[in-house]
Amino acid sequence: MSRMTVNDRPVEFLMDDDTPLLWALRDAANLTGTKYGCGTGDCGSCMVHIDGEPLRSCLVTIGEAEGRFVTTIEGLSGDRSHPVQQALVAEQAIQCGFCTPGIVMAAAALINRNPGASEADIKAAVPNLCRCGVYPRLVSAIQRAGRVARRQERISAAPAPGISSEDAAREVPALAAPPEESGRPEPEDR
Amino acid sequence: MDFREKLISAKDRVKLPDVSRRQLLVGGAAAGGLLVAWTLWPRNYATTLVPGEAEADFGGWLTIGRDGVVTVAIPQLEMGQGVTTLLAQIAAVELGADWRQVGAEPVMPSGLFPNLPLAADWAPLWANFPSLADTPDAWLVDRFASAQAFNATAAGTSLAAYEMPLRIAAASARDMLVRAAAERWDVVPEECEVADGFVRHATGGALRFGELVDEARELDPPDPAPLRPQAAFEQPVLGEADAQTSFPRIDLPSKVDGSHLFAGDIRLPGMVFASIRHGPVGLPELFRFDADAVAGMRGLVGVVKSKRWLAAVAESWWIADQALSRMRAHFTGPGALEQAVLDTDLERASEQREELAERIVEVGDPDAMLENAAFVRRYEIAPAVHAPLETASATARFVDGRLELWMASQMPSLAREAAAKAIGISAEDVVLYPVAAGGSFDARLDKQHAIEIAQIAVEIGRPVQLTWSRVQDLQAVPPRAPATADMAAVTGADGQPLAWRARVTTPPFMREMGHRLFDNLVPEAARAESRGEADELAVAGGMPPYGISDVAVDHVPASIRLPVTRMRGGAEAMTAFFTECFIDELAAEAGRDPFLYRMALLGGAPRMAECLRRATRLGEWDGARSGSGQGVAMVRMGSDPQTAGHIACVAQAGMGGGGARVTRLSATVDIGRIVNLDIARQQIEGGLVFGLSLALGSSVRFENGHPVPRNMGALGLPRLADCPDIVVDFISSDAEPFDPGELGVAVAAPAIANALFAATGLRMRRLPLLSEGL
Repeated sequence: MSRMTVNDRPVEFLMDDDTPLLWALRDAANLTGTKYGCGTGDCGSCMVHIDGEPLRSCLVTIGEAEGRFVTTIEGLSGDRSHPVQQALVAEQAIQCGFCTPGIVMAAAALINRNPGASEADIKAAVPNLCRCGVYPRLVSAIQRAGRVARRQERISAAPAPGISSEDAAREVPALAAPPEESGRPEPEDR
Repeated sequence: MDFREKLISAKDRVKLPDVSRRQLLVGGAAAGGLLVAWTLWPRNYATTLVPGEAEADFGGWLTIGRDGVVTVAIPQLEMGQGVTTLLAQIAAVELGADWRQVGAEPVMPSGLFPNLPLAADWAPLWANFPSLADTPDAWLVDRFASAQAFNATAAGTSLAAYEMPLRIAAASARDMLVRAAAERWDVVPEECEVADGFVRHATGGALRFGELVDEARELDPPDPAPLRPQAAFEQPVLGEADAQTSFPRIDLPSKVDGSHLFAGDIRLPGMVFASIRHGPVGLPELFRFDADAVAGMRGLVGVVKSKRWLAAVAESWWIADQALSRMRAHFTGPGALEQAVLDTDLERASEQREELAERIVEVGDPDAMLENAAFVRRYEIAPAVHAPLETASATARFVDGRLELWMASQMPSLAREAAAKAIGISAEDVVLYPVAAGGSFDARLDKQHAIEIAQIAVEIGRPVQLTWSRVQDLQAVPPRAPATADMAAVTGADGQPLAWRARVTTPPFMREMGHRLFDNLVPEAARAESRGEADELAVAGGMPPYGISDVAVDHVPASIRLPVTRMRGGAEAMTAFFTECFIDELAAEAGRDPFLYRMALLGGAPRMAECLRRATRLGEWDGARSGSGQGVAMVRMGSDPQTAGHIACVAQAGMGGGGARVTRLSATVDIGRIVNLDIARQQIEGGLVFGLSLALGSSVRFENGHPVPRNMGALGLPRLADCPDIVVDFISSDAEPFDPGELGVAVAAPAIANALFAATGLRMRRLPLLSEGL
């Protein structure tokens, strides 16, 4: 029996205690933002926060996570508002995006603790593998996130999900809110 | 299916149509929306922009809704290279849209979206008579690519293939919107302008696209489409690398919060999870396994065996993978590959190079000049793994004889066909939903997992998701081919090369890949089929860009017992290593500055020369004095110098406590017209980092058929802390655009090898560098 708090909700996984947290999150909780890249702790794609610490969820069993507070990428901000999320989008420090959730979680744990992190701090705190090669942008992006966290700068690069058509139309003159009755348009010309 | 015979019959060839005149099809796709699509000779291909209830024939290149949302079809696989944004941007600029009203939708493979340049480049892999199919406008290429729904994503062909069709579609839509507005205002269309998602008239009238679509769709499309004088274009400004981009990538918000769905993130009602085991290299067939070991295992749903693999299906992937471990599958075959065997195979081919060599390119009469007193060097490249972070994954649902397939494929139509064939249904009964790839680097050209998931889905009778473990991805994706190059040159009085020969011993890996992809052969059969054949694509880029009067490029087709394939950078990344290390050795032999030595040979290649000159300025070139740790390399990619891409790079490197350390890479790039500057910069940066990974790691050895190492951590892949300072400058140019994705990969390894020579005085002639110690 493995009970814990995941993204502020109480959860009990009906799985063997030795199941890696990664697979409980992905396959049982459908929290698929946490990625499988290696299963051996090498790549960092599966990083989550456990009691605020960035840990590789492929190396932690749900038995070991019993009673702890787990935060996944889905629960980090809910609306992409964490400074690290905004900064990675603003600096376009993302390519394929597969390693991104893990990098966000590693960097967010650092910035939450130390928004003034130095280049050396950042390099030590982000061991994640990225094969597309976003590294050249990561240090400045994470330092920028630190400035946002310290209220020295603001970024609005990644809009919150689920913006209504009405709100979009207010922001973008070329858009119009659709009339009430129409939902997603249906094909009519077959 | 063998389409070759079908395509080449003389009967077909007499009725050559004018394929440049495709017809526009305009209609209302979405409710009240405007749709711009193509019809193609000789038949209409189903368009796949908006997958609907029953995948009916609708959709096309772009749609505009009454709400003003512009949706652009993306017939290319997003692997991180930014193609989604790039293609949407091209349409948006041509149309005159506000970037914020533009969306993109990956579309299923269709004959509507043929990748003609790639089909032409790879004609030797699919055509009986490649000489009839070596240009994108050859009739045979169009016929093949359209009939096969060949919208493959590879080798940097996206812009060449899709920019013009998208521009024409968008220009046509713009013209119809303008005419609709002009009619309303009772003015002449020429007085109207389109920008920011509005049609405007000098008298102050302004109408949103969405307000005009109902009238616009009733109009006839223009012929020809009135293209804007300038295609999408961003001007590089020196020293402004941090400038805000005008066209931010549209895929990033969903990637930063975990909501972007990869194939392994699909969730379907009642879905179960599969893991799989393949045989080690040389033992491809399943021999036995212990089924009793998993009897009654909690959460296990089923075990599926095939001739070549064993899969377990369970309520979680972890349970499935545990079940496989317990069943201890054994495989059989001709014999597990050992490293010594691989080395011997390559060595043997190299020893027989005089007899086996096939001349691919020849200028002048180099052999006569090289007969004696030649300066010769040998370089080697070990097999390298792609190791994208996402392992091969696919999700499938088989209901009522119909297969739905979610996967990332660089060749979706061929993956769809292979999946259909594997379960005995027709390709029309397979719906392939394209999802983005978590990296690929050409690993996802292959399609084994499409076949496997189809068979598992049929067997299990429930929606199922297959994820290869990391070990399986390292083992069952063929690696980049190993190669040996015997380079020879004769130099003149001042040390410049007069004659040059590159003799490359490597398996015909492009032909082998072609047999796997186009003929659906298993790796061993593809290897047998291509055995001993010369392969011009396997030595692409072997012709140096230098002004040398007598040059030859030979391919020595090696027969090895390892299935191999292409990797990001292509053969050009391998030949660039040979060429640029060898020229560096010639410069050193002549006692010359390797930069000036190259410059003296670039009189006929002014763009390359300018690139090299500026890279050395950017990299604060110091003449590569001994102990300086500076090395330079340059690459020109593309067969035609007018449309080629150019990169030159100065590397700064040295030996530290933990081995080689690269501290700085400074690159200058000329890729002609740049569509999206920041995406181009991402691609060069990422290419250099990928090249760094190939320079210092990424290689595997084989023990008992298993690649070693068997995990990501021991591959020597660079991490953030290992990443050098990377500075990239672009040269402003209005030449044809060239894809930036592979240039950085090709230039990094030789630049680093040359820098390590300057740092240590030791020539490292094997990739990865330092793999044999110092």
